[in-house]
Amino acid sequence: MKKCSLKKCGLVLLAFAFLLGGAGVAAAKDILIVADQYDATTMDPIAHNDVPSSRACYELYDTLVFVDNEGNVSPGLAESWEFLSGTEYKFNLRKGVKFHNGDEMKAEDVQYSIMRATTDAGAKIATYSQNVKDVEIVDDYTIVVHLKLIDYSFFSSLAHSWGSVISKKATEAAGDSYGMNPVGTGPFKLVSWQKGNKYVLERFDDYWGPKPQYKTLEVRSVPEPTSRTIALETGDADIAFPIVHNDLKRVGENEKLVLYRKPQNSTAYIGFNVTKKPFDDIRVRQGIFAALDIVGIQAASYRGIGKVPGTILPSAVKYSINDEIPPHVQDVEKAKKLLEEAGVKDLKLEIWTNERKERVDSATIVQAQLEEIGIKSEIKVLEWGAYLNGLMEKTHDLFILGWVVSIPDPNFAVAGLLETSAIGASNYTFFSDTALDELLREGRSLPDGAGRQAIYKEMQLYLNEQLPMIYLHNDESIAGTQKNVKGFSPRSNEIHSFREVYFEN
Amino acid sequence: MSDYSAAAPAVTGRKSRRGLAEVLFRLRKSPLAMFGLIFILCLAFVAVFAGVLAPYPYQKQNLMHSYETPSRQFWLGTDEFGRDILSRLIYGARISLQVGFIAVGIALFVGGMLGAVAGYYGGWIDNGIMRLMDVLLSVPQTLLAIAIAASLGPGLFNLMIAVGIAAVPNYARIVRGSVLSIREMEFIEAARAVGSSDLRIILKHILPNSMAPIIVQSTLGVASAILNAAGLSFIGLGIQPPYPEWGAMLSGGRQYIRDYAHLTLYPGLAIMLTILALNFLGDGLRDALDPKLKR
Amino acid sequence: MIRYILRRILFLIPVLIGVAFCVFTLLYLTPGDPARMILGDMATENAIKEFRAKEGLDKPFLLQFGNYIYKAITQGDIGRSYITKRPVMNEIMATFPATLKLAAFAIVIAVVVGLPCGILSAIKQYSVFDTLAMIFAMIGLSMPVFWLGLLLILLFSVHLRWLPPSGFDTFKAMILPSLALSAQSISMITRMTRSSMLEVVRADYIRTARSKGQKESVVIWVHALHNALIPVVTLCGLQFGHLLAGAILTESIFAVPGVGRLMVESIKMRDYPVVQGGVLFVAVAFSVVNLLVDLLYAYIDPRIKAQYR
Repeated sequence: MKKCSLKKCGLVLLAFAFLLGGAGVAAAKDILIVADQYDATTMDPIAHNDVPSSRACYELYDTLVFVDNEGNVSPGLAESWEFLSGTEYKFNLRKGVKFHNGDEMKAEDVQYSIMRATTDAGAKIATYSQNVKDVEIVDDYTIVVHLKLIDYSFFSSLAHSWGSVISKKATEAAGDSYGMNPVGTGPFKLVSWQKGNKYVLERFDDYWGPKPQYKTLEVRSVPEPTSRTIALETGDADIAFPIVHNDLKRVGENEKLVLYRKPQNSTAYIGFNVTKKPFDDIRVRQGIFAALDIVGIQAASYRGIGKVPGTILPSAVKYSINDEIPPHVQDVEKAKKLLEEAGVKDLKLEIWTNERKERVDSATIVQAQLEEIGIKSEIKVLEWGAYLNGLMEKTHDLFILGWVVSIPDPNFAVAGLLETSAIGASNYTFFSDTALDELLREGRSLPDGAGRQAIYKEMQLYLNEQLPMIYLHNDESIAGTQKNVKGFSPRSNEIHSFREVYFEN
Repeated sequence: MSDYSAAAPAVTGRKSRRGLAEVLFRLRKSPLAMFGLIFILCLAFVAVFAGVLAPYPYQKQNLMHSYETPSRQFWLGTDEFGRDILSRLIYGARISLQVGFIAVGIALFVGGMLGAVAGYYGGWIDNGIMRLMDVLLSVPQTLLAIAIAASLGPGLFNLMIAVGIAAVPNYARIVRGSVLSIREMEFIEAARAVGSSDLRIILKHILPNSMAPIIVQSTLGVASAILNAAGLSFIGLGIQPPYPEWGAMLSGGRQYIRDYAHLTLYPGLAIMLTILALNFLGDGLRDALDPKLKR
Repeated sequence: MIRYILRRILFLIPVLIGVAFCVFTLLYLTPGDPARMILGDMATENAIKEFRAKEGLDKPFLLQFGNYIYKAITQGDIGRSYITKRPVMNEIMATFPATLKLAAFAIVIAVVVGLPCGILSAIKQYSVFDTLAMIFAMIGLSMPVFWLGLLLILLFSVHLRWLPPSGFDTFKAMILPSLALSAQSISMITRMTRSSMLEVVRADYIRTARSKGQKESVVIWVHALHNALIPVVTLCGLQFGHLLAGAILTESIFAVPGVGRLMVESIKMRDYPVVQGGVLFVAVAFSVVNLLVDLLYAYIDPRIKAQYR
């Protein structure tokens, strides 16, 4: 009896140990918790043009091709492709790719996805899709995309979330509510979404590519920077971003955390309304530029994050000479001289900005520096909707705005901002210049190479002289993670990827 | 804060006529109310003479001195631009008091007239006006102010209007109540008999006689207007950033709360003390103006 | 009683139509074109035109409003969000539980703290406790909730590391927001309980009870409290209504995914249907709570019950 019970005891102990061990294995991190600033607005890949939504789409969908930080293209849902001509791209699709609902992805779905983006449903990403004429189905696994005009920048734009392939059947069935019920081919599928709080994705076990090493991805929206950092410090979040300047040291010096900083493909600028007097005069624009200590303004407003741009193309964008331009030096005398030449006296102007703190800060300093050359200015801080509307009405003078280049192709960094055809859309300077339009057209018509490079170099220098806008800041993507989080690296377009992340014990 | 209206006395009639001296005398017996009165007077003084009293202009930046903790140079420290927090608080007093008093002024004028007209004429006019007030009352005041502020856009003037309009029903109700109880009194009859016009009767006789509850409600109303305005600024629907509104200062400093808590501490304290003072004063006035409630 | 309830509910309808009208007008006058806001920078004029036509934004004001009310009454449809394209009702219902939880937590805290403090204050009128309680209640009334919230975060999240500053998924995460939200209600309930108790204690029947030689504790806890509680219950109900609506600031400080935050976000994104629906929803909730309070009031006070027949 006693022996027996001893044995029993041993068995129980053994079982207990197994249980503990088993519990230990189960407790090995199988969930990645991300603290983002904002929630996604929609999970429909063509119904948004904001970064948090694009991040969600990146995990839910695949695109025909993938583009990495440096602009290198690799196969996605298309195994291979062929440029039939400047306006015809042929794609051979991967076979056996499953949607989250179990259906196989076929040419019909790809055609549907791209053509849907050209309708009004895709108004927000029209800058990418407007050049598509048609998508031709050759067979179930082959398509040909026809463009209206030659545009070599189009190809890499397919890697943007607008090019995500959605299920025709599921999308048509969901109708207007598709944005809440996404069906893609990506490594994760949507489990639940509590708007304004968090969304939870789960590994899609039939994924065609390398499967994520953890099961659940939870992305929480934590708007307060302080709360995000605390979540990281207490271990409530595995990855948190953006990290603000006053928390850089705190995260960087914490032994349990890792801080990542990556130059971002974005440019914040001070634009001129060039249709309004006296800003139509190039000397006035150059004079104002000369009056500003841009380096000082950037340092004081962004406090050690990012850098002052040299040209309109952020450094990581193809053919950028951003880092080759010597830093701008404030020259008040030159400024006064230029303004005098232009016959401008007692100038009064308004500086518009949205609520973003750094921009308001910049405007405040610009205001002080302009006063030194006798320009009186007033700052108007506008809420986003009112801001965009105001800009459409052409009554503004100077305004501060930013532009993120989602695809590292120079065309997308300039065309939407300054091309004549973008007036009425996102060209708020109303800059309309035949020389620039010609350069842009030529740039699109050439395949990558020395010829294309020369065009964009010329364009950058030309714009630096014309000055429809003063470049203020190239931002950084800054993220913090727990030390055991590996495989994460912030991306320069802020569409951070979590599919490669794993935990190291 | 609408419970205040419920607590306000329905009518006191001629008692308020005994004059300020009587009220002040009663008020002096309550140390808390006196504290409130003195605090508000001091604050008003500071607000009026902000230009003289503030050691620096509120917008003066000094990036070499960002985030300084209190020192002899900067008594309450500096914010992220090296702006003197004390100076900003002093100018902020001007804004907050302006918002508080003008918003209540708007509410009082609009609400008072509506209430007086409703109470005086009765019938369908009364019905119409008071149903409209019911509609406004069924939306909580903060929410109403937010909706109005959102549609008007940010800015000092819009903020006053938003907060003011949101408070209109409170005054309309009180004034109507008072008017109803005074309407049938003899001196009104007398005025009517000598041929005074309706407007004259309302302005000259009825309103002055419903002053007591209005004064109490207004004092407390200024408090809730300042609080509402600060809240709106805090969520970005109020005053524009360069101006030192207390709620906006708090909101601007919250990002730095871990390293530089003084950025949020002082503006918060300023709001709280002001509201506290107004509440003490309001309570004291209620007791002083209405001996029936005094225990 | 049933007729009374029905009458109250019937009376609610014109009030709500009035609320809908006010909100509709306000948002109609708001600068900023929802079509452009929703479709983005790159939208073509054509797309904007079509959007306006689809959402009925090109129709005259009264027609737009009439259509809205008609659909709301006949189909319970208060529109779709411009952003997510989901029915507004879904958006609100997805966020309402958080607000409800927050408000319920806060009212519980308020009652648990406020009631005993008020009673004790009244029993020991003019004592040190009474004075302190009254001063603290006044401070609580004067404390801006957004400042209190920040102070709580500073103390409990930053320094002590006891409670998280955001997220509303766990019980722990709900403590700070509820606490911040309850401060004003604690103060009001304390003050109301105290004054109501004091009033009752002076009443004749209490004097009678005392003179009959009943124990003081019985007098206080049985006779006085029962009657003193009536206005307090009303206040609690009203407070609950206010908490439901007043949680906007608290929700935005602690990132609580509730109705208030939904509305603030929607205002910023010009998602008009959600703003309209939200205000309307809060007005309904507020009115329903008030109605329930009135009924409860009638239930516990027989004198009033008689009037409702």
